[in-house]
Amino acid sequence: MTAATHSEGKHLGPAQYVMVWAALMVLTGVTLAVWKMEFSYAARVGIALGVALVKSALVAIFFMHLWEERGVARLVLVVSGLMVTLLIGFTLLDNATRFPYANPPYSESWKDEPWQKDAPPMQAEPPPIRTAPKSQAEHPAGHKP
Amino acid sequence: MHTDAAAAPSRLAHHFPDMKTQEHAARMGMWLFLSTEILLFAVLFTAYALYRFLFPVGFEEASRLAHVAMGATNTVVLITSSLTVALAIHYARLGENRKVVGLLAVTILFGVTFMVLKGVEYHHHWVDGQLPGRMYHFAGLSGPGVSMYFALYFLMTGLHGLHVLIGMGLLSWVAFRAMRGEFGPNYSTPVELSGLYWHLIDLIWIFLFPLLYLL
Repeated sequence: MTAATHSEGKHLGPAQYVMVWAALMVLTGVTLAVWKMEFSYAARVGIALGVALVKSALVAIFFMHLWEERGVARLVLVVSGLMVTLLIGFTLLDNATRFPYANPPYSESWKDEPWQKDAPPMQAEPPPIRTAPKSQAEHPAGHKP
Repeated sequence: MHTDAAAAPSRLAHHFPDMKTQEHAARMGMWLFLSTEILLFAVLFTAYALYRFLFPVGFEEASRLAHVAMGATNTVVLITSSLTVALAIHYARLGENRKVVGLLAVTILFGVTFMVLKGVEYHHHWVDGQLPGRMYHFAGLSGPGVSMYFALYFLMTGLHGLHVLIGMGLLSWVAFRAMRGEFGPNYSTPVELSGLYWHLIDLIWIFLFPLLYLL
């Protein structure tokens, strides 16, 4: 039995693996470039997650041999991914639709509530290095949830 | 497939008709195990998503304290180590055990590099007081959600680092077996399965890096 008949699909060679690696490197570069560009918050989250999804698909399909895998083994990763999406999605849906005070104090869902004015301020000047006033710095954990 | 059974009589369990079926079952089992690993990390990713949703400003400010240069280097290191593992599997199937040993040794060295850089990062956070919960005492940034970011940062990268250590152990064992020339066209299952484990570690880091360092 030769390596070529090892399973149903065709085997990839070293050249293909190096190409996949190069693609992963380029995508890592894209992630870092987008990070440098300081797009809007939603755009940065969207692009970072999108690129990560493409990268993980490349790793799974080529490095983890899903390409040449037979039958139900291919399904396991896809179903896992689907379940993770459901778990995260419904958890966020829950907290996003709650009565505000059912979420932790000073969280984003409190922001339109009158009590939010008591929230400890975010002690941070423009990035990257900031220093808080000394008095605040001595008790930074005072009001933390 | 009697030739297979004859070629490797000790490898084939009696309830499998041939090596091909046995190896397929082994990979299937490994994938199921990996799905439980994904579940394990999924809970932490859910916690991250939830607290990021609740404290978007705190998380964004806190993630600026992450050491991006070291994180990016570690991303490159892990992706390259995935390449060397993929090549090791390739040569194991061809029975070129010396190449397998070399590639796995390089992979383990990448693992060591990853853990050392991670340790340096942890040290910086420790010295600066950027720690989880009540232990957080960094003067430069405070506010709701900031210490929560660091709790999740240490939990997620810590659990991932533990997996890197286990992966390095597995690959050392496989490299030792390759040194004895055990692998070939008929039998490369240990290389494939520990390789799958290593790739999953890479896969999880692919998500951890942008979430913890760049957003």
